[in-house]
Amino acid sequence: MDYKEEIIDHYKHPRNFGDLEEPKISVRENNSSCGDMVEVCGRLTRDGRIHVLRWRGVGCAISTAAASMLSEKVVGMNREDLTGFGEKGVVELLGGEINSGRMRCATLAYRAIIKLFEQ
Amino acid sequence: MFDVNKIRADFPILERKIGGAPLVYLDSAATSQKPKRVLDAIADFYTKHNANIHRGVHTLSAEATTMVDEAREKVAKFINAKTDEVIFVRNATEGLNLVAYAWARQSLKKNDVVVISLLEHHSNMVPWQIICEEVGAHLHVIEVDDEGRLLLTGTGTTQLTGGKLVVTTGSLESLLDERVKLVAVTAVSNVLGTITPTEEIKKLIKKKSPSAKLLVDGAQMVPHMKTDVTKLGADFMAFSGHKMLGPTGSGVLWGKREILESMKPFLYGGDMIGEVRLTGTTWSGLPNKFEAGTPDIAGIIGLGTAIDYLTSLGMDNIREHEKELIGYALGKMEKFEKKGLVEVFGPRNADERGGVLTFNVKGVHAHDAAQVLDKYGIAVRSGQHCGAPIVERFKTLAMARASFYVYTTKGEIDFLIEKIKEVPKVFSL
Repeated sequence: MDYKEEIIDHYKHPRNFGDLEEPKISVRENNSSCGDMVEVCGRLTRDGRIHVLRWRGVGCAISTAAASMLSEKVVGMNREDLTGFGEKGVVELLGGEINSGRMRCATLAYRAIIKLFEQ
Repeated sequence: MFDVNKIRADFPILERKIGGAPLVYLDSAATSQKPKRVLDAIADFYTKHNANIHRGVHTLSAEATTMVDEAREKVAKFINAKTDEVIFVRNATEGLNLVAYAWARQSLKKNDVVVISLLEHHSNMVPWQIICEEVGAHLHVIEVDDEGRLLLTGTGTTQLTGGKLVVTTGSLESLLDERVKLVAVTAVSNVLGTITPTEEIKKLIKKKSPSAKLLVDGAQMVPHMKTDVTKLGADFMAFSGHKMLGPTGSGVLWGKREILESMKPFLYGGDMIGEVRLTGTTWSGLPNKFEAGTPDIAGIIGLGTAIDYLTSLGMDNIREHEKELIGYALGKMEKFEKKGLVEVFGPRNADERGGVLTFNVKGVHAHDAAQVLDKYGIAVRSGQHCGAPIVERFKTLAMARASFYVYTTKGEIDFLIEKIKEVPKVFSL
């Protein structure tokens, strides 16, 4: 696997990095095997779509880039859209070349964002 | 003479290419590669002798039983134990859990103390958290110094709260008293390579906690240096076959006969019973009492062959080889460290360290470093190495780890060092 320029770009310049003021819903998700952590917070529209999303965290290039790219991609999605997008969508977003050892990195933020709908 | 190139020819997988580049396998602390002799032994068993053990009077069953018995004798001789003290399990983790469930759970009482160290693999940490919680015992954790060496002496302890357990940390000496019933420590850290001073630990235990048992996690010791359980002074020791050139699924728990005899079984079922009546059952003697069900017969036979192979190389030669490699690698990495390119973790003296080089490339997550190295065919482990607390002790999320074994060459270490220089470039640092 090579690190595509887009991944490096998002890693070095993460989008939507930060926090939101209340009211917000927040979820924290960890990767127990590598110590990566992501905290996403957002607000939903009345019809249950992601209106705004911010995230913070520490992690590798893959988990950071995935969080950054997803933070742009998921705005406007409802729970169904996000489930349909799936982990497969995350892998495609990252360029389609994630080996099994990095799947937990790639999907860390996705797992957190899905949980926003459970709050 | 220890001829690495000759040894390498015995390992078919070392012919592999990874994306066109020759495999540089530096992840033996996770699992070792297997020599052809071991692979052949497994195939030979399934091809010519496959039958269940202790089950039949027919020829194949008798052959299989003899082969397992022979493997047990080889293990016993290898660690200088009595044959019936060798219990076959799946891996070190299962051996440690056997002690936790079949000994500690029955023997520990409220307010007793279990001492572990910050160096422990999760498999020698989590079972003790669970047992302590269950019986109301206390968990004490030996701290380490900045090179990841156990603190043996010194006063002052710290209490950690916030979880289900109240945990006390400090030096071994400060944590020992007559309440301590078990000290469970690793002989060699899988994360930092630290060789712990088991003999000194034993002396301190004898002095301050005479009724405490000593359990040694030998997973990273037995494959790499001569191990003699009579000199170790331990009561239990667990290790894995797959880290010592044997197949996965083979592991050993060694325990002192009188303690094993006093224990209840861990698993119940076939092959571990004395007499079964509908109204009650008695247990078989050692070692069968702890080996319920059909074991990994081929795995055990493969482990026996791995031990033959290791013995032919000589365990002292293996340790010398790895000591030379880690000294060589540390010397090279320390130069990089001075330039600010990497951070190296663990003891700096090769005498106190197994063949485990743990590092981070500055500004790069260990997973990313490992991924870049993989592009050159280099296999290193990255992450928390089933030792989250010790990784956190060094204020980092994750670490990269290159670990060596009988087939590792200085050339491979040179190649690793050369390619570590490429890592920051990928991230334009």
